[in-house]
Amino acid sequence: MDRRHFLRVTAAAGAGLLVSGTASCATSASSGPVAQTAGTATIQSNLSAPAAKAAIEALVKAFNDRKGSQASVNTVASETFRTQLPSYLTSANPPDLFTWYPGSLLKGYEEKGLLLDVSDVWQTMGDYPQAFKTLSGRVFVPTTYYWWSFFYRRSNFQKWGVTPPKTWQEFVALCQTLQSKGVIPLGMGAGSDSPWTASSWFDYFNIRINGAPFHRELLAGKQRFDDPKVKAIFTPWREVLPYTDPNGTAIGFQEATTALLQGRTGMLLTGAFFADAAPKDALDDIDFFRFPIIDPKVPLAEEGPTDGFFASSKSPHVKELKEFLTYAASAEGQEVYIKNSSGTILPTHPNAKDSGTPLVQKGRAHLKEAAEITQFFNRDSSDALQPTADAALIKFLQQPDQLDTILADWQKAAQQVWSS
Amino acid sequence: MSSSTSGRVFHAVAGTVSFLWLLPIVAVLITAVRSFDDIAAHGLASTPQSFTFAGFGEAWTNGGARAMWNSVLVTVPTVFLSLALSSAAAYALSRFEIPGRRSIILLMLAGNLLPPQILLVPVSKLTELLGIYDTLVALIVVQVGFGLGFYTFVLQGFMRAMPNEVQEAATIDGAGPVQIFWRIVLPMTRPALAALAALAFTWIFNDLLWAITVLRSSSVMPVTPALLALQGQYVSNWNVIAAGSVIAAIPTVAVFLRFQRHFISGLAVGAVK
Repeated sequence: MDRRHFLRVTAAAGAGLLVSGTASCATSASSGPVAQTAGTATIQSNLSAPAAKAAIEALVKAFNDRKGSQASVNTVASETFRTQLPSYLTSANPPDLFTWYPGSLLKGYEEKGLLLDVSDVWQTMGDYPQAFKTLSGRVFVPTTYYWWSFFYRRSNFQKWGVTPPKTWQEFVALCQTLQSKGVIPLGMGAGSDSPWTASSWFDYFNIRINGAPFHRELLAGKQRFDDPKVKAIFTPWREVLPYTDPNGTAIGFQEATTALLQGRTGMLLTGAFFADAAPKDALDDIDFFRFPIIDPKVPLAEEGPTDGFFASSKSPHVKELKEFLTYAASAEGQEVYIKNSSGTILPTHPNAKDSGTPLVQKGRAHLKEAAEITQFFNRDSSDALQPTADAALIKFLQQPDQLDTILADWQKAAQQVWSS
Repeated sequence: MSSSTSGRVFHAVAGTVSFLWLLPIVAVLITAVRSFDDIAAHGLASTPQSFTFAGFGEAWTNGGARAMWNSVLVTVPTVFLSLALSSAAAYALSRFEIPGRRSIILLMLAGNLLPPQILLVPVSKLTELLGIYDTLVALIVVQVGFGLGFYTFVLQGFMRAMPNEVQEAATIDGAGPVQIFWRIVLPMTRPALAALAALAFTWIFNDLLWAITVLRSSSVMPVTPALLALQGQYVSNWNVIAAGSVIAAIPTVAVFLRFQRHFISGLAVGAVK
């Protein structure tokens, strides 16, 4: 009796589930972007952070409210996006637009004919500085960028009686003063899931000492990591290592941010996105200064990673997606985006208004003063080269006396990436 | 005296081990009820200075509810289909003299030994060719296909151990193969089915790899990729992610608690009443 009852129940439940399962699948099949509705450009977005996700959704809504072409956005985890991008692009029916950044990865896809030529969108972008045009080529439309610098809490600097340094000597002196007050001068968050943040130090030493052109050549494989010029940049780095958080290769980027906000560390070399990891009431207290000048003869370069969109060459919605790109590149579109974001990013359109906070205005001026803009290690080189930098730099932070071996190993690992 | 000392040692060791075992879960639960500003200002490891359920609300509304439903839509039909198909296959392979049955079982098992990573691209291309890419049907088909070998292997081992007399008695009473399967073999396989159902449910519910291989729209993503999507490119709201993880763990815990009773009682009663 008991057994029969069990069987009857299982069979009934099973049949019911089977029906509901197939029914629901049928609906999801028609709502997925693979069955693309005519005239809607789909955007595959990796902006999964809540603030950024809200911003791109607001941008798409504003675009659709213009009653022209329509667009829809599909947000996936940035990590999923990064690993799946090749299969998205090579699939028979790819999304129309993708969020991404300019760089060697994009060039590779362009050479394979996977990307759409959007130079007619650039016709509408006459106000844009030449630097963005050179960076983007014919396949990319930049919409936002941000800056890197040493961030600190103004109230803490006041409490400690110190001021932001301009030159390398002042910077080292500042580190000494802070250490004598029992504060770890330099924060670092190169452990956990963010070893790549150590590359910002490498980038800055290289563009301060050897200059941006050499830096780009090095990352493109035209120079060597075991070159004496590269070795030279580790001398000033070694000088400030005693002032760097000894836990810097153990804790992640977000924990390093917390350490800075709590005043356990004095300053942190990081991107403006770090403001997303700060509580709202701390934002007004945050200020920054430029990575100190080491050699005044080298033209001033700054890291200003750029973000934007590119399109798939297989897209059947060329008219719609170009209309969207034109809107995203306009001052109006970028203002909508920034108003709905966390607010520490800058618009690429020279006439678009930023969020207007003193921090952001200072950041915009900070990049405008630079003669050259670099993107970031992985953006100027490739995502494949980034792990070689992570391994080398983390080892340097832990065993700075092994520099020669580290650089030789780095060159070997990099050569494998370049030749593959 | 000595027995009470060893008892105390045992309790001390076992207590410590369970405490260490539960520590991560406690940490997640505590993080889930903190506010983001508290975590950002004081760090993940600090003593909580806030108490809020806002993280749960945010995780649930920020795609969590839809993702849960998608997970249910994938997991329940997949568990049912895989067990139905594999128990039928196991019945045939264990109770009948099918030519080459040993090779068939080995072949099914060999399929399981292939690392799924090497099949990602072919599976993704295949679902595209079939026109089911980016639908839940694709995920169900893939999950059933990959589970089948293992479930069949386990079930046929279980069914082979059943005494032949039971089947012979049923045949003498006039039962055909289908009746024997339905009325004798399946009910006797209940403990194995319950255990496998609980395992399959957990595996499929917690799968991430296949979901992100055959799906690309956030509207059809099950709960694991949705949890991943709560992580930002640079900054993650740990309280929301912890709350989301707690929500995502509830169904598997519930299924395990429910089925635990099933397979323990099934094993205790045994095959022959």
